[in-house]
Amino acid sequence: MSSSSTHHETRKIILVGNPNVGKSVVFNALTGAYTTVSNYPGTSVEVSRGHCDIGGHRYEVLDTPGMYALLPITEEERVARKILLEEDPFVVVHVLDARNIERMLPMTLQLIEAGLPVMLVVNILDEAERIGMSFDVGLLQEKLGVPVVGAAMARKRGLSEIRAAIAGFDREHRARFAYSSDLERDILKVASLMHGEYLLDRRALALLLLQKDEEIQERVRTRESGATSAIEKAVNEIVFERRVDLHLRISLERKRICKGLLDGVVTQREGDAPPFAERLSAWTMNPWTGFPLLLLVLYFGLYKFVGGFGAGTIVDLLEGGLFEKIVNPWVIGLADRFLVWTWLHELMVGEYGIFTLGVRYAVAIVLPIVGTFFIAFSVIEDTGYFPRLAMLVDRIFKKIGLNGRAVIPIVLGFGCDTMATIVTRTLETVRERLIATILLALAIPCSAQLGVILGLLSDTPGALVVWSLSLTLVFLVIGFLAARLVPGERAMFYMEIPPLRLPQARNVLVKTLTRMQWYFLEIFPLFIIASVLLWAGKLTGVLDGLVKAMKPAMYALGLPADVAPAFIFGFFRRDFGAAGLYDLQTSGLLNPVQLTVAAVTLTLFVPCVAQFLVMQKERGWKVAVGIFVFVTLLAFSSGWALNRLLLLTGWLS
Amino acid sequence: MKCEFCGREIPADHVQKSCGLCAGGCRKVHCPYCGHENPATPAYLRRFAEKEKKNENGEDRNQ
Repeated sequence: MSSSSTHHETRKIILVGNPNVGKSVVFNALTGAYTTVSNYPGTSVEVSRGHCDIGGHRYEVLDTPGMYALLPITEEERVARKILLEEDPFVVVHVLDARNIERMLPMTLQLIEAGLPVMLVVNILDEAERIGMSFDVGLLQEKLGVPVVGAAMARKRGLSEIRAAIAGFDREHRARFAYSSDLERDILKVASLMHGEYLLDRRALALLLLQKDEEIQERVRTRESGATSAIEKAVNEIVFERRVDLHLRISLERKRICKGLLDGVVTQREGDAPPFAERLSAWTMNPWTGFPLLLLVLYFGLYKFVGGFGAGTIVDLLEGGLFEKIVNPWVIGLADRFLVWTWLHELMVGEYGIFTLGVRYAVAIVLPIVGTFFIAFSVIEDTGYFPRLAMLVDRIFKKIGLNGRAVIPIVLGFGCDTMATIVTRTLETVRERLIATILLALAIPCSAQLGVILGLLSDTPGALVVWSLSLTLVFLVIGFLAARLVPGERAMFYMEIPPLRLPQARNVLVKTLTRMQWYFLEIFPLFIIASVLLWAGKLTGVLDGLVKAMKPAMYALGLPADVAPAFIFGFFRRDFGAAGLYDLQTSGLLNPVQLTVAAVTLTLFVPCVAQFLVMQKERGWKVAVGIFVFVTLLAFSSGWALNRLLLLTGWLS
Repeated sequence: MKCEFCGREIPADHVQKSCGLCAGGCRKVHCPYCGHENPATPAYLRRFAEKEKKNENGEDRNQ
């Protein structure tokens, strides 16, 4: 037999599916030991190939990289789709995890609507049955119109059924699902203009074109020389008409069809359903129960743990105990003995000394607070709460020109505003990115600043409430105004929610240590540099000049002039400024009203140098300087108004 | 690695890519699906972290 005839007789089985659903287990079970793994041509993505004989036919089996949808985002997904587009499969075996069938079935729909010869393997059935789920595989096959096999491939359950289904596979039989009439009309409008030869169905291509898939646009251009401009015009018209909700509509339509398909197919055993995690998950997203739960998370996670334990107990122990009583006297003693030059003595252990200010702030004040914040953050993150928070606040965020997707940069802002400003690039529209950048610069304190302020204000009854209300009010009012004043498109938000789970201690520990390591490596040199600059400022008189220049502003806020350096520190780093305020408070220089006004103004006050530079990089000089000036003016006017209000009402006096 | 926000698997080659914005080397992995910033596990913690993955519910057997 010639090699070319062998090639023609070898049918191809392509395994596709999400990562970690057992594709490779199916691949190994089908092909046995003799397989090859190589990079897919022109890429660094590995694809496994093997062979098997089923019903007297020779098959080549391809194990594709994990993919979540036919519209690719990663290189792996691009390769997986390329294989589907170019390898001319005899059968495409879609492997999915039975436990997450509702989330994974939309991809089966996409494969079917692409006109591919699809067969479905519902894998990991044993685990699904263990948690009380049962499946009517026959009914699903009837509804889907393609062969469906239930399997637990890790136990070799279902292998013979998969082989039998491949042997009896009818390539000519195709199923079809309909979207709502207006979406179908749009699909038809684009699909009817295409006349070239494609391996994928024109309906699927039309949908991918509507979702601005660049690779498909290129393919269509090469195959539709005459009709390209008409197709592009039709696509652009539809995209413009439906720009707000096209992606969302397509996702929701697929979800609706899948819900109908699974009706009667999946049942949860009595007594097992619904598990507590599922009920809790629903509570976290329902506004009536979600907001009280959010308050509980904030109270115990931030106020009690970060503010009380981190900024209180641990800082007292390190700052008040270890540094003040043991380390500082010892280092100052050494400096007194060996550093005879006054300028060097000042540089190392003076008022703004590298050790007495930089190292002390970084190690004794900021690190324990950031550490406890990262523990709380990692625990919450590990439970899968954040995507639920995104769904919960989506409606409120829409009022301020954002949507649930903006939860990622806003939540990350509580860790570090600089990094969060970079993450705003993941938001869909320029308008959203700009609004999120303003809000991050203005009203989102970073972890260390938040921790120090929580620690500072928790001892003064009512101060924390006033601070929280002031910040929330500024956040909402500025967001609300920005949503009305900043031009641009509004984006929709849709995301699949991963399961809620118990946090894993090891996972939390690894994430916390990793975050603490990069945070410390990042802040430590900056704290030292800030100390040196302040020392130089003091030596040259520049610092005194700045403090003098800020005096009128401090008096207008009802604050003593000694608070000015904390604001100057704040420009180097937000946490550095908060630590400065901590020093003033422990020296007994501020009364409750002054403390609250200073905390509110300092929180709203200008972003730190690093955040400013990132704003400039991401949004340009004009926007960055504009935000800087706006935030500075707003911080001082808010502080002034709050001071007047507190003095007038007598609150906190 | 799995994204801690959207729960999707971040491809291995993406984990090794750096966006180049962090001073002193990148210690974060941005999810290509949702943009969340996941901490990149340092070398000295990798073995400890991988032990956790193996203990996770059936993940290894379903690769």
